[in-house]
Order: sequence, then C-alpha cells, then structure tokens
Amino acid sequence: MTKEDIKSLARLARLQFDDDEAERFISEMDEIIAFADAVNLEVEGDTSTVKLEGEALPYEKLRADETQPSFPNEKILSGVEGEDGYFTVKRIIK
Amino acid sequence: MKAVISKLSGMLKSGKISSSELAEKYIDAVKRDNAKYNAYVNETFDEARKSAKEADARLARGEGGPLCGMPYALKDNICTDGIETTCCSNILRGFRPYYSATVHEKLSACGAVLLGKTNMDEFAMGSTSETSCYGAPLNPRDSSRVTGGSSGGSAAAVAANLAPFALGSDTGGSIRQPACFCGVVGFKPTYGAVSRYGLIAYASSLDQIGPLASSVSDAAIVYDAIKGKDPKDMSSEEVSLSATSLSGDVKGLKIGMVKEYFDCLNPEMAARIEEVARLYEKAGAKIVSLGMPTLSRALPAYYIIACAEASSNLGRYDGIRYGVRCKNYSDADELMTRTRSEGFGKEVQKRIMLGTYVLSAGYYDAYYKKACAVRARVREEFDAVFGACDVLFAPVSPTSAFELGYAQRNVIETYQSDLYTVPVNIAGLPSISVPCGKDKKGLPIGMQIIGDRFADEKVLSAAYFLEQNEAFCEDDEEGGVAL
Repeated sequence: MTKEDIKSLARLARLQFDDDEAERFISEMDEIIAFADAVNLEVEGDTSTVKLEGEALPYEKLRADETQPSFPNEKILSGVEGEDGYFTVKRIIK
Repeated sequence: MKAVISKLSGMLKSGKISSSELAEKYIDAVKRDNAKYNAYVNETFDEARKSAKEADARLARGEGGPLCGMPYALKDNICTDGIETTCCSNILRGFRPYYSATVHEKLSACGAVLLGKTNMDEFAMGSTSETSCYGAPLNPRDSSRVTGGSSGGSAAAVAANLAPFALGSDTGGSIRQPACFCGVVGFKPTYGAVSRYGLIAYASSLDQIGPLASSVSDAAIVYDAIKGKDPKDMSSEEVSLSATSLSGDVKGLKIGMVKEYFDCLNPEMAARIEEVARLYEKAGAKIVSLGMPTLSRALPAYYIIACAEASSNLGRYDGIRYGVRCKNYSDADELMTRTRSEGFGKEVQKRIMLGTYVLSAGYYDAYYKKACAVRARVREEFDAVFGACDVLFAPVSPTSAFELGYAQRNVIETYQSDLYTVPVNIAGLPSISVPCGKDKKGLPIGMQIIGDRFADEKVLSAAYFLEQNEAFCEDDEEGGVAL
C-alpha cells in the first residue's frame, strides 16, 4: 500500500490521516491485509456457486408493511443540534 | 460454580432480603470496588433504587419470576432509554438513546434492577477491552492482566461480585473470551435466539447478545428471560427452553472433538479439556473424533466480513444524528470527516479502513466474496459435524489472560487469538464458555461447549453437568457482595 492508497481509502471512509499517520498506517494495513490474504488459501473446490449471504436474506420474514407510531421528534433531537423538528447544520451548500 | 441467581432469588422470595436492600448491597460494593476494576463506566443507582422499590411491591404481592428484584449490568453498547450509552467511544459521549433495547425491556419487565453500564472495547472491536475511551477494565483474578474483550466490563463485574449477572455481546468471541479470562460463565446463544434490537451494531450478521454469569444455571435463567422472537428484529426466532429443565444428564451424549481445534493448542489446555471429556465419558457420554478442514480459514474470513459490515454500520456516525460533532467545519464532507477522525479511536478507524478496502472495486471479489464463500463452507462443515455428534468441546483462547498492553504491541497475534471463537459466529451457532480450572500461572482457563443452531438447550444442559462436578468448579472469593 502507498500513502496515496491510504489517503484515497480514507476519503471513501470519511476519515483523515496526516502524512505521518498515513505513513504509520501503511505497515499496519499491509500486515492486516497479509493476514486477510489467508482467506484465499486452500479453499478446495469451486466457490463460484456458493450463495452469498445477501442473496439468502429471509425476505419472507419481513413484518407486514403497516403504519406504526414513530419516535417523537423532540426525543430524537434531544442532545443533538436541531430545531423545528429538523437536524441543523451550518450552511453547507453555497 | 455458585448459583448466585437462584440463591438470591430464594432470599428475595422468602423475604430474607428485600430487593431494595439487595440493590444497596451491590451499590455499596460498586462504590467501594469499581475504582479497582473499572468494570462500570456509568452507574445508574437512582434508577436502580426506583426499580428495586417496584420489584419489592411485586414480590410482596407474591408475583415475579427468578429475576424479580435481581440487580444486573448491561454492556455499554446496549441502548437504554434516557441513559447514556456510548459503546465506550468518544464519538458517542453524551448520547442518550430514545428507546431501549428489547433485552433491556424484557429484563425490566421481569423486575430486574439495572445497576449500570459496563466497560468494553470501543464499538466492541477488540479482545482485551483496552480500546475503551474510559481506559481498560482490570481482571479481578489478577489486576495486572486484561479482562479480555470486548465484554470485559461485564465479565469483570460478575467475577468481582459487583453484579449477579450481566449482558454482553459476542461478534467473534466477545462474551466467551472475557468470561474465560475472568473465570465466569459466558453464553453466546444461536444467532437469532435473542433479539438484537437496540444493540449498537458492529457486524450485524455476526452480533449476538448473551449473558455472563457465575454459573451455567444462572446463565440459563437469564437466557430464558431474554430469548425469543421480536418483531423489531427480523433475524430473531421463537425458541423453546425451560431453564428449570437442565438435567445435566449426559448419558448417550455424543461429544465431538474436532482435530483442527486441538492441533496447535498448548498442551496444558489440551490436557485439561481431555480430562473434562473423560469425566463426561465416565458418566455415559461418547467421544467422537472429527475433522473440519476449512476451520482455520474462518479467522481471516471473520475479520473481512466483520470489518466490511462495520465500515457500513459505522457510516451512520456523521456528526449530525448522534453524539458529538466537531467544532469547526466549512462543508458537509469536513463535518463528517473531522467528527469521525476526532471521535473514533485508532482500532475502530483501522477496521473501518480494512472494511472499506475489502469492499472497494477490485478487491471485493478477492476478499469479501471469498470470505463469504469460506463462511458458507465452514457452515457446511459444521452441519456435517453435527450430523455425527450432539455438541463439540473446544478451547476458548490459546492463552489465559494477557498482561495489560500486550495486545497493542502484538496486533496480529491478538487477532489470531480469536481463532477458536470466531467459527461459531461465522456459522451462527450457540456456544458456552465454562471455567475448567487454572493454568500454572493460577489464571482461569475455560472451554467451549458448542451446539448446532437452536440447540441452545442441549449446550446449556451439557455444560450444567460440568457445574455439578466440584473438581472443576473452584470458586474464587474476590470481594464485592459476599454471598
């Protein structure tokens, strides 16, 4: 991994590392990825037909799609910045 | 092992002690001893006194089950309405959920009395609880050592007699391994047997709530109270169990010993588990030798899947909806990026990065898809194994409790120490960690009894047999509430 790899991954994950941190992170990530690489060893046979978890989701078990009471706005907004039933942030669209 | 809950419940029912008196005893003990162990990160004594009073009224009417008036603790990733819940992360400091987890609702409905929230690895990511923003909890059996993790505070609270029981969560061993390190019982139920509603998600396809307690019978009572279908958790299922029916009868029980679990295990632990197996054999159980060739692949597959799901689950911490928000920002990206970089600890950031990596274009097939294939294969192998036996015996951890600081210096080795616990999560199986003696250092060692999906009762019953055998159940008295 390069410093650029780390920084572009960080951008995707909405994290930021300065140069020193990114440098330190390279070796750690390399070590962990080498460890994760072991997943590719010795799985005998064809795995292309194995069902992925996502495809096996039990959609038939979903509850009926009926209106139910939701949490009151003032409870959801207690402890965070908000007003009039909305979350508020500084103006971010120019 | 001592049956703390049944003993206390008997005292409450007979009026020997009131729930309020019992709560005060635990409150005093926590006030006196928690500074030593850092097991609780948030104490809820006022609420506890209120619930105890309500429980006393129920008990006076002759109502209430075994948990009515019983104090307990919750891991800090289980939401409690109006009570700060932080996952031991700076990003959730001050977060007061506006609803309670189903397990908390269920325990409250039973009349159980919440003493507080327990310490843990930040967002449950770790095996030592040292990544907590409140500092690590210490092992009551040896305070120079870690409690294990991530439910380390829950294990310490039970081990130090600062709670009759506690709930934890187990994504890759986070109930079983700290239970083992602290010499208590930890039960990870079948995936879906206990509702996860209100459990702050780490890896949703692996996470499971379960009890930590002083004995198997205690764990069964708690499991009985929290299990079952919940319309708020699609993955939950109705399950049957009668906690009182644990027979401990192992006659005809087929116990599988999977070669791959014991291949590299240190001889002291292997010998101890062998010894336990012989005890079962003497009581009429049969030992079957089995193999699972893909078992060692479960560990890298686990880290890939867990981190992938974490990178998605933790996307919700944007500085807008929960917890803290960074001070200065000029646009939406900066708001999120700064909040997350300041709020998440290093281990959490590392796992988000790894998860982002394995899900990114070009790597998805090589890592995430492969890990899912390994997962499916491990499940198939477990299915085959449970065709040939009722339960498996396995180690919990390659070593007893680490010294403080060891994990930070040996990152990969610590990841690797999860190798015996993660296969159970990969396959969604129930497994209990029970103490089975001490090693040469005098530290507790434990073993797992693993069952097939929804064979929770079989697992508990098999473990209950061990509890009946004094030789394997030396009790430690470590302060806290004297029982």
